[in-house]
Amino acid sequence: MVSRVDVPKGGFNFDNYQRNLILQEKGFSLPKPTKTGTTIVGTKFKNGVVLGADTRATGDTTVMDKNCFKIHYLAPNIYGCGAGTAADTDKITKMVASQLELHRLATGRESRVATALTALTQFLFRYQGHLGAALVLGGVDVDGPHLFSVSPHGSTDKLPYLCQGSGSLAAISIFESQWRENMERDEAIELVKEAIKAGIFNDMGSGSSVDVAVIEKGRAEVCRGMEVPYPTIQKVDSYKFKPGTTAILSESFRNFVTITEGDAMDIS
Amino acid sequence: MSGKNCVAIASDKRFGVKYLTISMEFPKMFQATDKTFIGISGLATDVQTLMERFRFKINMYRMNEERDFEPITLANMVSSTLYERRFSPYFVEPIVAGLDKNNNPYINGMDLIGCSTTACDFAATGTPEDQLYGTCEALWEPNLEPEELFETISQTIMSATNRDCVSGWGAVVHVITPERVITRTLKTRMD
Amino acid sequence: MNSILNEFKSTSALCEEELHDSLYDWDTANGFALPTFEFPAVHNLNRFMKDITSASAPCQIEIQHGTTTLAFKFKSGVIVAADSRASQGNYVSTSSVKKIIEINPFLLGTMAGGAADCTFWQRELGRQCRLYELRNKERISVAAASKLLANMIYRYKGMGLSMGTMVTGWDKTGPKIFYVDSDGTRVDGELFSVGSGSPFAYGIIDNGFDFDLDVPSAIDLGKRAIYHATHRDGASGGTVNLYHVKPDGWARIGRWDVEDLHWEFQDQPKPSPINSSVIG
Repeated sequence: MVSRVDVPKGGFNFDNYQRNLILQEKGFSLPKPTKTGTTIVGTKFKNGVVLGADTRATGDTTVMDKNCFKIHYLAPNIYGCGAGTAADTDKITKMVASQLELHRLATGRESRVATALTALTQFLFRYQGHLGAALVLGGVDVDGPHLFSVSPHGSTDKLPYLCQGSGSLAAISIFESQWRENMERDEAIELVKEAIKAGIFNDMGSGSSVDVAVIEKGRAEVCRGMEVPYPTIQKVDSYKFKPGTTAILSESFRNFVTITEGDAMDIS
Repeated sequence: MSGKNCVAIASDKRFGVKYLTISMEFPKMFQATDKTFIGISGLATDVQTLMERFRFKINMYRMNEERDFEPITLANMVSSTLYERRFSPYFVEPIVAGLDKNNNPYINGMDLIGCSTTACDFAATGTPEDQLYGTCEALWEPNLEPEELFETISQTIMSATNRDCVSGWGAVVHVITPERVITRTLKTRMD
Repeated sequence: MNSILNEFKSTSALCEEELHDSLYDWDTANGFALPTFEFPAVHNLNRFMKDITSASAPCQIEIQHGTTTLAFKFKSGVIVAADSRASQGNYVSTSSVKKIIEINPFLLGTMAGGAADCTFWQRELGRQCRLYELRNKERISVAAASKLLANMIYRYKGMGLSMGTMVTGWDKTGPKIFYVDSDGTRVDGELFSVGSGSPFAYGIIDNGFDFDLDVPSAIDLGKRAIYHATHRDGASGGTVNLYHVKPDGWARIGRWDVEDLHWEFQDQPKPSPINSSVIG
């Protein structure tokens, strides 16, 4: 008998598509997916690449996550910042990261940024922009530092400094006025921080703190919360409730037992 | 909602069509492993379908691996299941809450296509999401003990659902501690 | 110079004259005139109003669409009851609305649909009724009052007014209930319930109703009907407000939180659907 427990074949499933169209026609509103509403930037410096991102995720006008991580791992020497639909940037970078890992295991060589770029663009192009992922891709490989941007439709840019997301206009102004060629590592980090802060302060979709990734030859460093430009105001008092505040109708306990020796249970 | 070595997960019990309340005993959470719960809000048919699919996957994992899902692995499984239908999603927003093998709290809220948000404090989904976030921000504080956490999460969900026409009608709270799971049904407004 | 002076003189004289006119010559036509509204300068007014008052409009101007209100006649008058929830979409904007409007000591109106529409037009109705009393030296009948209201709002039919109301009172002909809505409907009846929760309220009333009910039982029936509607209808809730219309005017009986009623009723034996007289 053929097992009904088939391993999924991979790829997207469209089973609910027609149903969802009908539901929407009938006025059932679709929950809004989480967007990043982001400021993400990247710049090259003398011997590497610096990537930066803010940490706010939004769903419509609500801040869904005050400290999300938008600098995604792709390979030990390659990272990518994601903007757009949060689920898409998350999953696509995860998928490409696993492809690259397999590729490294098969070839025994360090991944190249171009390989990651090709994998990403081919994947995005296949879905004609329906995957709302915009990325800033940075890494250092045998050919030196590289910085690319990838649009949701699969087109790419190769530039010495890049910004994406809703805060990109604010961030690019910092780069346009202060960027220089062959910056030192610390200078580049400082500039990236300034650009992200410009996004945080001037764009409603960006906020919270600055994450930075610095990739150099043989070394990649990811710094969560490198700068927190405005502090969270702490509550001065506690709003704890006295036990018994909430009226309850019923109560049940399920205690765990720790098995210290022997078999768990005789189930013969 | 997380506390000191404990987590709590709560949901209301209403099932209705538009403004008509049909059931007041609709389960929206289930125990995935000893110390992990999944709560799902959204379209009732999808809530039920997914509960069954998750239960199936959890049991398969337990049989194949001879161990239980860790909360983070479970959240990844839930997330992938949702993202598989990126272009024809289930209308749901799940929350995974539990204690990991070191009894550290783990909370994860997801959107309908599996964008997971790991929170160190709280996660909220459903129709009164805005109200829930508001009350959570005001009432939650770090390192709550299990009983304190119970009061905080209960007051949070009751305040939020009382400002929402289409949720409430009773509520269930599970508090997960290293020693036990405490389940309580709340006495709430029924209008 | 003189000409300028004259001009001013004559103008001021004219002003006085006008003032005199407006003070001493009561213009019946204008004095009794209905309030009028400026209309927006659009091609299709009805369409425009429909668009801006629809649920999908950028700013929804109507609030409180979900409601349960009821009124029924029995041997000792009329029981009028309503819930108190006001909602905007799924959001509960307040739970302490007075949906029973006291038009004058003898007339009550209920509120369903747009809260602003109901309050404004029933306030206007109160004014008209007072004028009627002053002119005719007797109280207006419920039939006439409800017709005034129906005629007033009929002029704005299709322009986005939204109200479903019951005008109740006791006049020379006895207790009366008129259902009036913004479509122009006006009907006399024994029992009405209006709003999203009305099917549930009808269920309870029809089950427990008897014309010969005593006053406490009738009050209890009204209370139960609203409570059950708030229980099943998401857009109704809060408290039950209840009035009793008697020959010498209405009396406010009370206000009960439906949460208390829920736990109170839950402990009581359920009334039998066959023998309706058990209720109360």
